[in-house]
Amino acid sequence: MQTLPSMPHYLLRNAEQYSQQVAMRHKDLGIWHEWTWADMLAEVQAFSLGLSERGLKPGDKVAIIGANRPKLYWTFAAVQALGAVPVPMYADAVADEMVYVLDHAGVHFAVCQDQEQIDKVLSIQSELKDLTTLIYDEPRGMRDYDAETILDFTQVQFLGRQSLERDKSRGAQWQQGIDELKSDELCVMLYTSGTTGKPKGVMLSHDNLIITCVNANNFDNLTIKEETIAYLPCAWVGDHLFSYGQSLTAGYCVCCPESADTVSADRREIAPTYFFAPPRVFESLLTSIIVNMEDAGRLKRAMFNHFIAVAKKHGEHILNGESVSAMARLHYRLGDWFVYGPLKNRLGMSRVRVAYTAGEAIGPDIFRFYRSLGINLKQLYGQTEASVYITAQPDGEIDADTVGTPSTGVEIEIAETGEVMYRSPGVFMGYYRNDEATASTKTADGWVHTGDAGYIDDRGHLRIIDRAKDVGKLNDGSLFPPKYIENKLKFFPNIKEVVAFGDGRDVVTAMINIDLTAVSNWAERNNIVYGSYQELAGHPLVYDMVQTHIEQVNQDLIAEPRVAGACIGRFLVLHKELDPDDGELTRTQKVRRAFINERYAPLIDALYSGRDEQFVSTDVTFEDGRKGKLEATVKIRDVALPEPLRKAS
Amino acid sequence: MTVADAAVADSDVADAGTAVERNELLSVENVSLSFGGVKAITDISFNILEGEIRAIIGPNGAGKTSMLNVINGFYHPQEGSITFRGKKRRRMKPYQAAASGIARTFQNVALFKGMSTLDNIMSGRSLKMKRGLFWQLLHVGPARNEEIEHRQRVEEIIDFLEIAAIRKQPVGKLPYGLQKRVELGRAMAMDPDLLLLDEPMAGMNLEEKEDMSRFILDLNTEFGITVALIEHDMGVVMDLADRVVVLDYGKKIADGTPAEVQANQDVIDAYLGVAR
Amino acid sequence: MELLQQIFVLPFVDMVSMPDFLIQVVWEGFVAGVLYALIALGFVLIYKASGVFNFAQGIMVVFAAMALVGIHDMGAPAWLALLLTIALMGLLAITIERVVLRKLVNQHEAILLMATIGLTLVLKGVGELVFGGGTKSMITEELGLPTGSSDWEVFGGIVIFQHIDIAAAVIAILMVATLAVFFSKTRIGRALRAVADDHQAALSVGISLHQIWAIVWFASGIVALVTGIMWGARSDVSFALEIIALKALAVLILGGFTSIPGAIIGGLMVGIGEKLFEVYWGPIFGGGTEAWFAYVLALIFLLFRPQGLFGERIIERV
Repeated sequence: MQTLPSMPHYLLRNAEQYSQQVAMRHKDLGIWHEWTWADMLAEVQAFSLGLSERGLKPGDKVAIIGANRPKLYWTFAAVQALGAVPVPMYADAVADEMVYVLDHAGVHFAVCQDQEQIDKVLSIQSELKDLTTLIYDEPRGMRDYDAETILDFTQVQFLGRQSLERDKSRGAQWQQGIDELKSDELCVMLYTSGTTGKPKGVMLSHDNLIITCVNANNFDNLTIKEETIAYLPCAWVGDHLFSYGQSLTAGYCVCCPESADTVSADRREIAPTYFFAPPRVFESLLTSIIVNMEDAGRLKRAMFNHFIAVAKKHGEHILNGESVSAMARLHYRLGDWFVYGPLKNRLGMSRVRVAYTAGEAIGPDIFRFYRSLGINLKQLYGQTEASVYITAQPDGEIDADTVGTPSTGVEIEIAETGEVMYRSPGVFMGYYRNDEATASTKTADGWVHTGDAGYIDDRGHLRIIDRAKDVGKLNDGSLFPPKYIENKLKFFPNIKEVVAFGDGRDVVTAMINIDLTAVSNWAERNNIVYGSYQELAGHPLVYDMVQTHIEQVNQDLIAEPRVAGACIGRFLVLHKELDPDDGELTRTQKVRRAFINERYAPLIDALYSGRDEQFVSTDVTFEDGRKGKLEATVKIRDVALPEPLRKAS
Repeated sequence: MTVADAAVADSDVADAGTAVERNELLSVENVSLSFGGVKAITDISFNILEGEIRAIIGPNGAGKTSMLNVINGFYHPQEGSITFRGKKRRRMKPYQAAASGIARTFQNVALFKGMSTLDNIMSGRSLKMKRGLFWQLLHVGPARNEEIEHRQRVEEIIDFLEIAAIRKQPVGKLPYGLQKRVELGRAMAMDPDLLLLDEPMAGMNLEEKEDMSRFILDLNTEFGITVALIEHDMGVVMDLADRVVVLDYGKKIADGTPAEVQANQDVIDAYLGVAR
Repeated sequence: MELLQQIFVLPFVDMVSMPDFLIQVVWEGFVAGVLYALIALGFVLIYKASGVFNFAQGIMVVFAAMALVGIHDMGAPAWLALLLTIALMGLLAITIERVVLRKLVNQHEAILLMATIGLTLVLKGVGELVFGGGTKSMITEELGLPTGSSDWEVFGGIVIFQHIDIAAAVIAILMVATLAVFFSKTRIGRALRAVADDHQAALSVGISLHQIWAIVWFASGIVALVTGIMWGARSDVSFALEIIALKALAVLILGGFTSIPGAIIGGLMVGIGEKLFEVYWGPIFGGGTEAWFAYVLALIFLLFRPQGLFGERIIERV
């Protein structure tokens, strides 16, 4: 396979080969603006030269902080063209969290979306000795800032264009600089949020990314014709590949939404052909569909229920190209006309050719729901350390509980402990300034520990059971896979998040987070009055509702021999939403188990004590960054265990 | 320091520099208004300076909304006159008030409930659109260009107020706080010289109040729109207003900077309900 | 038993056994329905924008048709007569706004209704005085409208389509489409919807109620003129037509007072319904059911769905 040495090389190639093809779109003031590859090269070059004028040197680190904006994506290429290293950051992180990464990476420049991000960086500026220049995309509110060190993006581009005008050879020099980039050099640094400990800076080389991207494009036949929408944090490795790496290598168009609030409307207008979302997004979309349906008229609801049942029965078989009776096909086609088509259109998935979910396990029922509508949703398994791809499901070999076969160029082994290990061209160079962590994750001959327990099934597909260190045992010896149980509960639209406990205990218990949208809607329909989230969460009827959901899940669990011992015996509904700002979730919305065990220790004790309520007080961070205390008395309920289990005990 | 605080600080700095040079934008002289013998407003005079944020406060039934209604021509005072940008009038029709640059919002949100956010704000451009009915019907040529031009301005307002996500939604179904924001957007779309806000934060939670305060300050500093607002929340008034006029039982009892007004004995009595 | 058979069986046997005749009946009902719908449409326009229950909508149809024929009789060529009539409707709208509405603004709905009843009498009186009270025939050919008919052979029978009926349907559809574009795309359309939603707010953005009222009355005057021409071309022009215009009230109850789609669907339902009923069930009642069918249908709606098909739901709050 022949690949180019660096990301900027691909930009140059696209600007030449696909000069008039649309590379990027962005909705601003209600209108979609677009840039061809040629336009994009001009923008990137101007900005890159401007950065160089402002003193950016090879090897310098540049923080990129903000939502998915064209200018921020251009920054990646502009920085890389100078041999410097982009470090994208989670924009919703509070200033204190940012300090660690900015300081650890030793950034020299920060390119921010708007005043909000600039203010955050300024508030911690005193702790960042290398930081010299701040650049912003949106000028609103920036009038009265120090114009010497805080610059408008277009102003920097202007500096670049000026220098090009003064000295025409600057353009050629710039291209020569790109030609001197080496494929094994550091391309980007992505900090993993990590469910434990401080974030680690994963160093990926040009080759790591480029080879992985090209392989992935070939695997799904992605070409210049695809369109995607960039809406996930650009600090996350997934977005870095889907919206940057794979776009550059395949030459396809990336669309940036107007704002985080308008993503679903913008997605409908774009109708992407290649789509990626973590399970959480698919869950919340499904929740909103179901909430909408419950508000709809009786006829509409009956029709929806009928055809969704039809889809459940035949949809996946049709999508997998299996043989299905003509009558069933006709019935499904009718459903497509009345329900699936309009629904997919609403979701912005009417043109989706390939859709992926990854990041964590998706509830099988949620997964099948989308597939039954005729959306080619597949699972992949990946990590930042692998430049994403470890395994992916090939078309036609889709299964809700596997994550597919090893991706091109990836070798997989299961360690004696049951841990999944891999080696691939995408394997990272190491953690930045953290040799100890690098050594404990990556072996000398390039094998990487995933930290996940799993096995390869007889068809060669990888199955992930759980985080290796999360899978536990109950006192009677039966298996306790927390994630598996949690995902089953999370399929109910009313339940947003679950934390299950049971390792080293007699019985499984659960801490439930209700979904405010779904439950408040449900409350309205049932004339339940409440003043706050806390009051709603503690409402006896809400407890009743959650209890029925748990009983249903217990019925499911008892039917599967492997996990039959893990039925839920007690639960509570938490008085607040788990929140990354409070450290309870990672920025990618994964539960931080260890932290929760510590923070809610009184509640967990109470779950195993037989008490029926427990007072708890926690520190919280409000949206504006202020700290406060939240206090509540949380009720705890018992759930009757299903029949067979009770007989056994 | 939060962003809103920074904005407050900025506007304070600006005040100190320009307060002396400000011209009078509107002046109310000896206005009295009564409904069938019941006096709503008695002999009130005050003025509003260009570029300031002026608050009108007072207990319930003090005649604040009536005062606003007089300024934008909903009510015609029996006595007194109003001078706006140097033109003196006793009776002004709402249409004329709007045309001469006075926009307003209402205490209980008065939006066009069946129309979208976009159409509501577009309706604020009504007076600025000049092309004839014929062109509009054809929806081509100059009328189309004109529509696009106005749409541009409306989109800027939508961006300013951060309501892009509800652009196409019918406003009747929006939560109250957002409706208030759309109403502000419609008034802003008139590119007014004077913006009258009747209890812009009524019925809002803390976060919504903070947002609304930020929008009012920003539109005052960034677009130079003069604002007169009625507000109950004294905290908000003290933070936002440059000068405050206090009404009680239809009479003016105090006028001055927030600090002066707060220290005024009549004002304290009126708010504490001292019998007179 | 025989009666039940007459009601529930025989009419349907007739329909199936002579489908060509059924088509003929439905078509004629459809054309009548289109005209009912147009009258109701003029009514809805005014009610939405100004909250006035315009009792005079029916008489405006007759007045417009009378004026057109009257002016032509006075020697004006057809095109000039048409222009002059349009101008007259405009003048009428401005006069009504100036003389009636402006004085009665903010009065109770019942008072406004009484005013429009008064307006009915005035229009009738003035119309008879100026244009004469007799029966006239519409100047169909002079206006360039088609006459004659076409036959369509179907199901072994013949269905006759009067060309004027086809023209009426086409013109009505065009007019509704124009109004729809006008309402959704233009500044004045937006202003009209704004006024219909909230008077105060409309005033505050500088929309002049007076201007909007004059425009809606003019618009519904034009709708009335078109309706009058079509109706006149199918029968004759006389003040007796006013009675038929009353049927628009039944249409409104079906469709809801504030809904334009409601007016259209309601009109078609009444038109087609009463024709079918007259032909297939009429003999049981001794004929003449067209005179009351619409009102009975309206009464049934009032009992079971008082807000009409598309009206805003009426919710009684305790």
